[in-house]
Amino acid sequence: MAEGDARSEYPLGDALPIDVGAFDPGMNLLVSGPAMSGKRQVVFDLLAPAASTDPIVVMTTDDPAPRIHTEFEDRQSCVTPETFRIVDASGAPGDDDPTVHRVNSPADLTGMGVAFTEAVEGVGSPPRLRLGFVSISTLLQYVDAERAFSFLHVLSRRTSAAGYLGVYSLDPTTHEDRFVNVVTSIFDAVIELREEDGSREVRVRGLSGMAPEWTAFPY
Amino acid sequence: MTTSEGGTVLIVDDDRDVVRTYRRYLETSYDVREAYDGESALAQLDESVDVVLLDRRMPGVSGGEVLDRIRDRDLGVRVAMVTAVDPDFDILGMGFDDYITKPTSHDELRATIDDLLSLSQHAEDVREYHSLLAKRAALRDGKSAHELDRNEAFADLEARIESLRSTLEAEAADYTDDARFVATLRAIDDSGEGAADG
Repeated sequence: MAEGDARSEYPLGDALPIDVGAFDPGMNLLVSGPAMSGKRQVVFDLLAPAASTDPIVVMTTDDPAPRIHTEFEDRQSCVTPETFRIVDASGAPGDDDPTVHRVNSPADLTGMGVAFTEAVEGVGSPPRLRLGFVSISTLLQYVDAERAFSFLHVLSRRTSAAGYLGVYSLDPTTHEDRFVNVVTSIFDAVIELREEDGSREVRVRGLSGMAPEWTAFPY
Repeated sequence: MTTSEGGTVLIVDDDRDVVRTYRRYLETSYDVREAYDGESALAQLDESVDVVLLDRRMPGVSGGEVLDRIRDRDLGVRVAMVTAVDPDFDILGMGFDDYITKPTSHDELRATIDDLLSLSQHAEDVREYHSLLAKRAALRDGKSAHELDRNEAFADLEARIESLRSTLEAEAADYTDDARFVATLRAIDDSGEGAADG
């Protein structure tokens, strides 16, 4: 199908060394790994693979908007207000920027929801869109596990219903295993990163036809 | 939230004829309370009220101000604005969950209230889903797969999780309605105390 087609898949380009060319519309992915494992880079690579023209919305609870902007400029994404928006709940002050929707705190779940709807409307309520969320771990510093889970459940189902792709990051080493298990159930597939003997590896669980084996994934 | 079947509705309007009409429409299905101005609305409001129908233009404390004070109290109540003209402003950003344009009909009024009640129930279901998943994770921690397979309570838990999961998935189609999506998050936001430290 043609690029930009509403119901066609979301190509992942060379974001990951796996045998999957694209994700289905409405999928939600979790990128999970310890600090310094490059999960943020993987999230951004999945949002902006080479040659993609899909509109992008990034919700951030820690990195302030300018830093995210730079990341996408580096990826040759078109960061104009027509195709690119940031929901910034990092609390960092900033200048007026037509691509940025500010929320006072990640604890304001309603405010994040309102900002998300404004961001989607701002890029023209498109039939295709890639949503990034960085990060679940920071969100958990502001709200309890039940609220965090409920918020992520509702947001991920909102994008599924619209046929969008959702990509979220989590550092599992900073939470109880039990929470990680529960929150993982929200997602269709989990991309896990780890470091073994100084080299990085990746595995993917939840995609049909893919054996969940660790594969070398140099930085 | 009350457990009474139909729910409790608070009608707030300075026009007593309007209040009387709404009461007639609603009292067969819901517990109805009434208030003719903002101050008495706030006085009538407690945790047993499920839905407030709030007139936007009232003498004294305005509907918008009443709304802000309702939200400050975290009562887990859904609020529909009742207005004479289609709102040309952002009802989501203001904190309303829905709106009704005057004059309204018996059917529209009840449909709006039932929608808001089902929204509260949905938010409650999402929380329940989380608690069941957490319970399952805890059981899996402590017992072997073999033990769990033979455990009837665990099988019941699995069945409840599956049934709730499919209910939630079916209802998620409504989230493409922005007002519904945001109102669901608000219902999650003001679900009692419990913010984490940090």
